[in-house]
Amino acid sequence: MNVIQQIARRRFLQRGALNLSALATAWLIGQDKVQSEPTKPDLERAAFNLRPKPPHREPRARAMISMFMQGGPSQMDLLDPKPELNRLDGQKFPGNIKYDNAAQASSKVLGSPWKFSRHGESGIDISELLPHLGGIADDILLVRSMHTGVNNHGQSIHALNTGRSQRGRPSLGSWMTYGLGSETSELPAYVAMTDPNGLPVEGVLNWSNGWLPSLYQGTVIRPREPRILNLEPPSHLLGETQNNYLNFVDRLNRSHLKEHPGESELEARIANYELAARMQSAAQEALDIKQETMATHRLYGLDKPETQEFGTRCLIARRLVERGVRFIQLFTKNQYWDHHGSIRTALPKSCMKVDQGAAALVTDLKQRGLLDSTVVHWGGEMGRLPVIQNDAGNAKVGRDHNTYGFSMWLAGGGFRAGQIHGATDEFGHHAIKDIVHHYDYHATLLHLFGLDPDRLVFRRAGREQNLLDGQSGQVIPGLLRNNI
Amino acid sequence: MLRYPFLTWLILMTATAVSADGLLFERDIRPIFKTHCFHCHGEDGVQESDLDLRLRRWIVAGGESGPSIEPGDPSSSLLLDRVSSGEMPPGDKLLPESDVEKIRQWIARGAPTAREEPETVSEEDLITEEDKLFWAFQPIVRPKIPNVGDPELTQNPIDNFILARLESQELSFSEAVDRYPFMRRIHMDILGLPPTPEDVKRYTTNASPTATKRLIEQLLASPAYGEKWGRHWLDIAGYADSEGYTEDDRVRESAFRYRDYVIRAFNADKKMDQFIREQLAGDELASSSTILTDDDVQKLTATGFLRMAADGTASSGIDQDLARNQTMSDTIEIVSTSLMGLTVGCAKCHNHRYDPISQIDYYRIRAIFEPALDWKLWRNPSARQISLYSDAERQKKKDIENEVASVAAAKKKKTEYYISLTLEEELSELDESLRESLRTAYTTPSDKRTAEHKQLLKEYPSVQNISPGSLYLYDRRRDEQARGLDTLRSKKEQQFINETRQRSIAEAPLDVQEALRDATGIKASERSQQQQGLLKKYPAVLVTKSNLATFNAEAAAELKDLTERATLFRKTKSADDLKSYTDQIAEIRQRIPKEGFIRALTEPKGHQPATYLFHRGDHQQPLQKVAPGGLSILRASQAIAPQSESLATTGRRLAFAKHLTSGDHPLVARVIVNRIWAQFFGRGIVASLGDFGKLGERPTHPELLDWLTSEFVRSGWQMKHLQRLILSSATYQQSSRRRASLEEVDPDNLLLGRMPVRRLESEALRDSLLAVSGELNREMYGQAVPVREDEVGQIVIGKEMLDGERKPVKGSGLGGQEMRRSIYVQVRRSRPLAVLETFDAPRMTPNCSQRSVSNVAPQPLMMMNSDFSIRCSERFAERIRKEVGQQTPQQAVRAWELAFGRAPEDGELQAAIQYLEQQTKSLPDNKDPLATLCHALISTNQFLYID
Repeated sequence: MNVIQQIARRRFLQRGALNLSALATAWLIGQDKVQSEPTKPDLERAAFNLRPKPPHREPRARAMISMFMQGGPSQMDLLDPKPELNRLDGQKFPGNIKYDNAAQASSKVLGSPWKFSRHGESGIDISELLPHLGGIADDILLVRSMHTGVNNHGQSIHALNTGRSQRGRPSLGSWMTYGLGSETSELPAYVAMTDPNGLPVEGVLNWSNGWLPSLYQGTVIRPREPRILNLEPPSHLLGETQNNYLNFVDRLNRSHLKEHPGESELEARIANYELAARMQSAAQEALDIKQETMATHRLYGLDKPETQEFGTRCLIARRLVERGVRFIQLFTKNQYWDHHGSIRTALPKSCMKVDQGAAALVTDLKQRGLLDSTVVHWGGEMGRLPVIQNDAGNAKVGRDHNTYGFSMWLAGGGFRAGQIHGATDEFGHHAIKDIVHHYDYHATLLHLFGLDPDRLVFRRAGREQNLLDGQSGQVIPGLLRNNI
Repeated sequence: MLRYPFLTWLILMTATAVSADGLLFERDIRPIFKTHCFHCHGEDGVQESDLDLRLRRWIVAGGESGPSIEPGDPSSSLLLDRVSSGEMPPGDKLLPESDVEKIRQWIARGAPTAREEPETVSEEDLITEEDKLFWAFQPIVRPKIPNVGDPELTQNPIDNFILARLESQELSFSEAVDRYPFMRRIHMDILGLPPTPEDVKRYTTNASPTATKRLIEQLLASPAYGEKWGRHWLDIAGYADSEGYTEDDRVRESAFRYRDYVIRAFNADKKMDQFIREQLAGDELASSSTILTDDDVQKLTATGFLRMAADGTASSGIDQDLARNQTMSDTIEIVSTSLMGLTVGCAKCHNHRYDPISQIDYYRIRAIFEPALDWKLWRNPSARQISLYSDAERQKKKDIENEVASVAAAKKKKTEYYISLTLEEELSELDESLRESLRTAYTTPSDKRTAEHKQLLKEYPSVQNISPGSLYLYDRRRDEQARGLDTLRSKKEQQFINETRQRSIAEAPLDVQEALRDATGIKASERSQQQQGLLKKYPAVLVTKSNLATFNAEAAAELKDLTERATLFRKTKSADDLKSYTDQIAEIRQRIPKEGFIRALTEPKGHQPATYLFHRGDHQQPLQKVAPGGLSILRASQAIAPQSESLATTGRRLAFAKHLTSGDHPLVARVIVNRIWAQFFGRGIVASLGDFGKLGERPTHPELLDWLTSEFVRSGWQMKHLQRLILSSATYQQSSRRRASLEEVDPDNLLLGRMPVRRLESEALRDSLLAVSGELNREMYGQAVPVREDEVGQIVIGKEMLDGERKPVKGSGLGGQEMRRSIYVQVRRSRPLAVLETFDAPRMTPNCSQRSVSNVAPQPLMMMNSDFSIRCSERFAERIRKEVGQQTPQQAVRAWELAFGRAPEDGELQAAIQYLEQQTKSLPDNKDPLATLCHALISTNQFLYID
């Protein structure tokens, strides 16, 4: 290859060498096209992008929506009935317990104040607090044996969301988009949707790219305007004002280009302004739920004040999946499910907020034929203890943290449907049967996306790193439809 | 031939296209095998299948499967079979078709060699005659300045070299650039900041023939020069304000001193050879006295260059040996790419695949740094710091720490008090019979507790878990208890009032009881006189909260007791109280004189650890010992003595620094000169700035590179001398406009028949935005301006304020520090500032030899919508209003002058006025149309590019 070819090629590669931007909109970079691999892969700096990448094997799932119930929903009150607790209600707990809040700790058993009943053909027991979930019992896989083993919110969030309990590693969504790229070039590949009442514990680390290139950071859809930073201006500049601005910039750029005929870099930037504007409108279109029917609005509970907010986010999540977004995570506000006290009044309220929207999402994806290829997840970073916290009367009692056995549910994307997996002991305290550690869950998720955890690696500081980070995560056949 | 003379020249330059007749083993075939096959068939004593491909003789002899080639007969050559079928080399990477074809032809022609092959292959034989002839290893010879056909076009010898080449293609320079764009170009190139309208006016109205010369001098003397050019050096040094490597990415509090050293060095035009020597061996150049002079401080600070690589060794939970060796190899990579322009790091695990750098060479260089970065005797980052304390300051700190100790003792006592208080409170809630045994169980040290103790405590977790760390939880519990007592009290109070009233009615004579009841049931204002009289007689009937004590002393006493108990609960704030001690300690410590540190590399005296070659680069597989030295290809393998005779330390780094800066080293000065050139022309004479090896680019103007290099060395390694030459050349002062005649022959402008149009680097863009908006804070030096994550995780400037759960809390501003130049913004590896990263600020992994320039949609989006650009537009508009008042045309003119360094043309001005009218209509009344004009101007290509 001669100098001129080499330089032309280098320039070509550089144009394609993607900017690793921390911008919320960094995903856009995938626009550039590199058609061939560098000839010197050992020496070229790796170029990162969001172009779709083939998985390691035939995938079952291509997108995921995770509803993260931050704080830790009480499994024995919602998804994992324990008659033994009701029998021992008020008596001394017969085992060892690790408490988080010492001053309010007690060893008295707390039976569940709520009734469970069987739902669907599968007959899964679900609490009366989650009636809509009961309606989709045959579509979900209920895992009752989750385990992270670290009894704090932050650490357990990181274990579930990044594979390890310490801060700083890439989140699940970052790994997925790093491994698979994006199927849309006009929307972010990885979206985080936060609650209007605030961020979950650990704040922005929940959608951090860690040490992966910042291209793979989650883009936040905010609960207020501008909904996506940098993808929308402040409201007073929207609409006609922005059109005028874009036209004027274009006019100035074109007269500047006339002074520099043939300067393709300048032409490309003019085109990029047009592309940027298209992306802005694509995002606005995706967020515009007015396009949905009344029936859909009602399905998600948008007609009721208590379910409207969360339902709206669920509906937007579905619209994003339809448009090719790879990974979406919804968060409840700071410690929304952390029911240390007053569980009798607070837990029903929390359930009321999310139950309808979450169930509607599964129903809606299913009726649109998207459920088979979309994983839906509902769960928190922990569950709760079988004993009373704050023994100060019925109205005030609550439950403390428990990461040794808790429940969550999954639907779609190749997960089994209408099934229960695993079990906790008779008190709902420890997972004892078919335990699913966070790293097993991760291995299984990657498997469904066609990714091999040992091959989805990122080279850093001289080492190859992956999501499991040396933990013995196993694909669990019992979680998979037809065991594959 | 005549039609494409330029292409012919290119082909001659590259010498890769060789006709099949001339195929020789050493030159044409061996490099293919070296790249793809030696690793398993030759090197490191590995000869899989008994096959060694390093000599033609051995290839013919073959291995286990018999002869691998049959000279003259490709079709019966096993080797060709294997490579053309894709069976070899193993793995995904196949030999390119062209290489396979080359091998086939070479075999067909009898597999010739260039010369007789040696008896055996030693390390030195890795270097072939062909390698020795490679351009980059040739000594720098000052070439003759070429003659040109039109000498009037030249300003200095640079122009002769450039013009001669252009003329040979029947081309010439472009016209000189206009003064306005030239002013912006030169400001951006020297200072990284746009000129002010006043600067522009002064220059464009100066008719003196020396105006440009004076402008150049004035700009080179500006302190902003060091901030622009220092940044380029920081790229290749891999400057970062954090340690990287692990997730916690610890902040380097003292790295900024190295950054400041670099800025000062550039501003002072420190000779580059000295600059390099200080950075590689400042500790060995400094006086060995224990009291540091200013000069010592500077020299020690300079060694921060060798402390820029990521260093995770202060973090826990890592493989220390791996981390230490990684810091060492990153440091070698920084040194070799920045100064030597070679990818020496590729030889860490095996001989370099393309360049004549053996694995032993790599470990020779490692041995230079081993005494200071000895992985067996490692010092973590804080242990390597050098304190800037004076003896007096050190004593003062000691005194203050003594003061702290007495407060700490008081705190300890108070903690014990609260623990026992809490214990007693908890016990008092329990049945009396339990108290004594629980108290004993709790106060018994945990290792002495009996099984009964343990069982008992388990049943009462709120006793078991009382500890200094959980005291705050019991404060909360006390608040709850106090609220409980409050509720009880108000309930009781009402009850006592009722009881007292009923009793006093009951005690009245029977005949008035009914009347009394009636009277109490009526509002005071509506009572009859008779009723009032009656009540006066029996005042206890009207008992209230305030006079209950008068009528029922016993009840009042009970209420008082409840109040006092609640107050007591409320008053006991153990956590707050203990915190006051902590605060007091912090306050005392405030008086400790601030201790500055230098982030330096030093060697323990007399420390000579052995360096081993690591098999496949694995530190767990050491092989033979290696002595320090330079590269064999430069005949420098013996250049460095293991121990200096005159120094207490080994002196290896100093000797290495001297070897690099001797003026005879063919790479160092060339690499530096080439980098400077690239900053002005957007491309180096060698386009691959950090790789002068075989995979790098060849120089487009080799004689010019050598002339500039020799001129640079001759001038005493003066950077500004070199820059002055470039800036005053006709080459630099050309227009950037493309011309049809040039485009046809040289579309990529390799011949420099015009200036390129260049995009601003990220720092120049951010600094320019701040400059035009009038907000730029020109304060120099000092601690890095901090960065933080905003509410969605974007990295912005600001002090991080988070609660215990990492959620943002409202913080205070930085008092104008936000507006400082980008070079002062913290380079935290895990937190690249969004506005800079979007425009290609590099990630230091471990350094950046060459920045890329991308052109992607996030950039327009950032200009269109980001808080930063919108804020700059608003300030820009305010500034204009302040400077020229309310008249639209004047405002537009000023906006143009500030943004582009020139006044608008008539058409532009009309368009701007029309745009402002449109925006006035579409914006809400309280929003500023002028800001949208400013927003548009800073979003244009004219702002973002240098003409």
